[in-house]
Amino acid sequence: MPEAVRVDELTRKFGDFIAVDRVSFDVAEGEIFGFLGPNGAGKTTTIKMLTGLLRPTSGSAHVAGFDVKTQIDEIKLSIGYMSQLFSLYPDLTVLENIHLFAGLYGVSGNRFADRRDWVLEMAHLTGHQDRLTGDLALGFKQRLALGCAVLHQPPILFLDEPTSGVDPISRRNFWDLIYGFAEDGTTVFVSTHYMEEAEYCHRLAVMNRGRLIAVDRPASLKGSIREPVLEVMTADAPKAVEVLRDVPGVLEVTMFGRAVHAMVENLAAAERQIPERLAAAGHSVESVRPIEPSLEDVFVSFVHRSGGMASG
Amino acid sequence: MRAISVLRVRELLKKELRQMFRDPKMYRMLFLAPIIQLVAFGYAVNTDIKNTKTFVIDHDRTSASRELLEFVEATGYFRITGRSGRPADLVRALDHGDAEVAIEIPAGFARDLAAGNGVRVQVIVDGTNSNTATVALGYLQQMSAEFALGRAGSVGMLAGGGVDARTRAWYNPELESRAYNVPGVIAMLILLMSLLLTSMSVVREREMGTLEQLTVSPLSPMELMLGKTVPPALVAFADLFLVTAIAIIWFHIPMRGSFLVLLPAALVYIIAALALGLLISTISKTQQEAFMSMFLLLMPAIILSGFFYPISSMPELFQWITLLNPLRHFLEIVRGVFLKGAGFSDLWVQYLALTLMAAATMWLATVRFRRTVAT
Amino acid sequence: MNIARLLAMARKEAIQLRRDPGSLVMAFLLPVVLLIFFGYAISFDVKNIEMAVLDESGSARSRALIEAFESSGYFNIVAYPAGYGDVDQLLERGKVRLALIIPPTFDRDLTVGRAPVQILLDGADANTATISQNYATVIINRYSIDVVAEGRRFVLPAEVEGRVWYNETLESRNMIVPGLVAVIMSIIAAMLTALTIAREWERGTMEQLAATPVHRLEVVIGKLIPYVGIGLFDVAIAIVAGIVFFGVPLRGNILLLAVLTLLFLIGALSFGIFISAAVKTQVLATQVALQTTYLPALLLSGFMFSIATMPIFLQAVTYVVPARYFITVTKGIFLKGVGLDVLWAEALAMVIFATVGLTAAIRAFKKELA
Repeated sequence: MPEAVRVDELTRKFGDFIAVDRVSFDVAEGEIFGFLGPNGAGKTTTIKMLTGLLRPTSGSAHVAGFDVKTQIDEIKLSIGYMSQLFSLYPDLTVLENIHLFAGLYGVSGNRFADRRDWVLEMAHLTGHQDRLTGDLALGFKQRLALGCAVLHQPPILFLDEPTSGVDPISRRNFWDLIYGFAEDGTTVFVSTHYMEEAEYCHRLAVMNRGRLIAVDRPASLKGSIREPVLEVMTADAPKAVEVLRDVPGVLEVTMFGRAVHAMVENLAAAERQIPERLAAAGHSVESVRPIEPSLEDVFVSFVHRSGGMASG
Repeated sequence: MRAISVLRVRELLKKELRQMFRDPKMYRMLFLAPIIQLVAFGYAVNTDIKNTKTFVIDHDRTSASRELLEFVEATGYFRITGRSGRPADLVRALDHGDAEVAIEIPAGFARDLAAGNGVRVQVIVDGTNSNTATVALGYLQQMSAEFALGRAGSVGMLAGGGVDARTRAWYNPELESRAYNVPGVIAMLILLMSLLLTSMSVVREREMGTLEQLTVSPLSPMELMLGKTVPPALVAFADLFLVTAIAIIWFHIPMRGSFLVLLPAALVYIIAALALGLLISTISKTQQEAFMSMFLLLMPAIILSGFFYPISSMPELFQWITLLNPLRHFLEIVRGVFLKGAGFSDLWVQYLALTLMAAATMWLATVRFRRTVAT
Repeated sequence: MNIARLLAMARKEAIQLRRDPGSLVMAFLLPVVLLIFFGYAISFDVKNIEMAVLDESGSARSRALIEAFESSGYFNIVAYPAGYGDVDQLLERGKVRLALIIPPTFDRDLTVGRAPVQILLDGADANTATISQNYATVIINRYSIDVVAEGRRFVLPAEVEGRVWYNETLESRNMIVPGLVAVIMSIIAAMLTALTIAREWERGTMEQLAATPVHRLEVVIGKLIPYVGIGLFDVAIAIVAGIVFFGVPLRGNILLLAVLTLLFLIGALSFGIFISAAVKTQVLATQVALQTTYLPALLLSGFMFSIATMPIFLQAVTYVVPARYFITVTKGIFLKGVGLDVLWAEALAMVIFATVGLTAAIRAFKKELA
């Protein structure tokens, strides 16, 4: 399969700070490529370099076969971009926003009429086209922003945390749309910090502190964790996390709602030690059982191995 | 009304100050710009008539005509920048703005002068700047009368009779306009700064959606208002000290009165200005609108303050309007303190007017602010 | 440049303007209100100067001198203080600007020879003081001649016959209105555009625009188009108001005025965009716009204060104040009725201003986010 995006040793510095550090990866055509990492990991900076919003300091990248250093204009015609801010003009109506972006992307005539109707229908805004965009609920704004980003039917779509702040049902529907695009052959490049969203991607890249620490299919990433994971249920999860951090043989402790996940060196030893230690600290233990590592565990494990979270 | 919490207000003030100075360019705008402006405008704001470009056509070319021209140039008010024998050149010089005044001495000037027939020297002034024109024409009339009287005396027609005016100018013996105008620039800059800083404050938070966040916090409207007014007040005061120091050190503007007389006036004046700015900010829907409203207020405030134009030569209606202008009253205080060494007893009317105005605008701003924040 | 994208930008900008009626009303109203307001309020004509007279002579001839002051029309005698102390008070409080003191020996002195009188001026306002002093001197000189001549026909050996060109009645309105059009427009223009790009940065819409194929030239010109329209409309109503309300003569070619105005507006509006793109926040943009356009246009353009009297370094600064040239243009076309043969240098300055402004706006407006 030909490559939609090709990144080679891409680097961006802001003064002394290295936001993106020699990152290399490829994205195949028609792929849903997820970008995972904590805030400040360099995801947004990478996306901005790939969309022509930011010049790379060094390294190279090609999007749809065009060089991000020299062929920005060509790239912009081949991509759609939607940021976490859903940056439509709040003081324009739905239709006026569609008009604007159609004009900017050169969508006109019959094609415009088709695309306009498509966007309105997709965003469930048919009949509401004269409402001010600023007055729409967030979920509608998000779908409209997506519609405006794909008015010109770009072969590659960049989505920078497209679902932040949106309710789970809207988020679900939004991913159905993304699958639809991918089925039609569109390459989707999406960054997120929602783990369950990452599971929907064909392939995932994990970034931390400006570096790419893993690229693989979600299932393979999960399989790459050799250490067993225990799920511990207690009455007071935050306190339990503190206690478990000091237990020898426990590599990483993370809280998942009421549950605590502990990544351990030795399953048998840990299954014995953990209830003991918690009881000694005065916590009642409801259950301790081994589980399949979730993507979040994988993420935590990778971040842990690459030196922890960036501070701030 | 809820009590004002010192802790909350302090946090709010920190936030406001931090936001104000987030961008290092802001330091320059708030402190360096007023200094540059005072210096530049201190020099620019000058109504003295000096070196007026003068074009001469001397048809007579005698020692008498030369004597007249020398007499005119020696005063320093006029500088002869062009001479010619052809009237067409005179038209050209005035049209191009190469000269603002033209003097045409007729042929036979010396002869008629000696014979006592009375000669007419033609003077043409460019009326497109009517202030310069009025003053220049006045000077020339005065000079020619002096010249003529001197001549008449020397030929024995007037044996030194008549009235002798001995003129003395108080407060500013050299009649230098700078001493009058620099204190005016100070008053204007303080108004500008106060309005600029507050008029955007509330509307900005509204535009960014953070106002909602603040209103649901436990901050009371009074606390919010303190947060919005205290930092600009600090900046305005800092600017006042800066520009006053420069006026005294750089421009040698005499400070005949006491700074202690000026200070309370400045406080009341700044409060009035901040309240006006806040009022604009709460009424406006966008920053652009706030900016333009502020300007709509600022421009008349400056023009109708007596800064550039004496209030007494305005139409009566406008003279009444100027009474509502805080800048007018503050200007009178600043000039009074600087130039005349005036004290509270001389300026109590202006103090009273400023205080009433500050109280009224503050009340209005508070009412508006509460309504804005409450909804 | 792609026309479809340009039009999409211009259209969007126009719609946004329409959605912000507060700003729109201001944009149309501000120039007219300011012009009408100032056209009436501003007057450089010094008249009715408040004056006090202390007549210690009380003679017929002293009364004649006072009468000469009163009938001149320049002075308004508001007080007859009883002694020197009161004169001081009056000047101190700013009740009068000038005091005439006629000593007890006036009548006798005048019979013998020179009779001194004293004139005290409030020198604080040097401009008014200078003008008052000129008027007073002229009145006293005339009076002297009458006294000395004692009714005989006397011809002053030389007299000035003053004539005023371009503004024959020395009506300050005639000079203020054309100048004010220039000053107001240079401020309004920058003000209209100073916030537009900064607002897009603050709202995050600029990032969205930057990801589309739109070129920065298209963004800048697209934003300019609706504002140039507003600006031209503003100037048109200001000119009509000047002619209709104030009777300011328009002696030159209106077409030339229109073309030069257009160039000036392009320059000034582009400058606003330049500020906006360079500072990125609306608060800072307003600060910069106001400080770099308003006060220089008001004070350094020659509108109020003669450039010739400024120190050399400041005179040099005035050469980069566009309003300076535009004022020469408006005054020249309105009052002098001159054409391109005289105004070519100013016309060139307008072309340069428009070009430099536009270039600066486009260059400052980086599409790269940093």
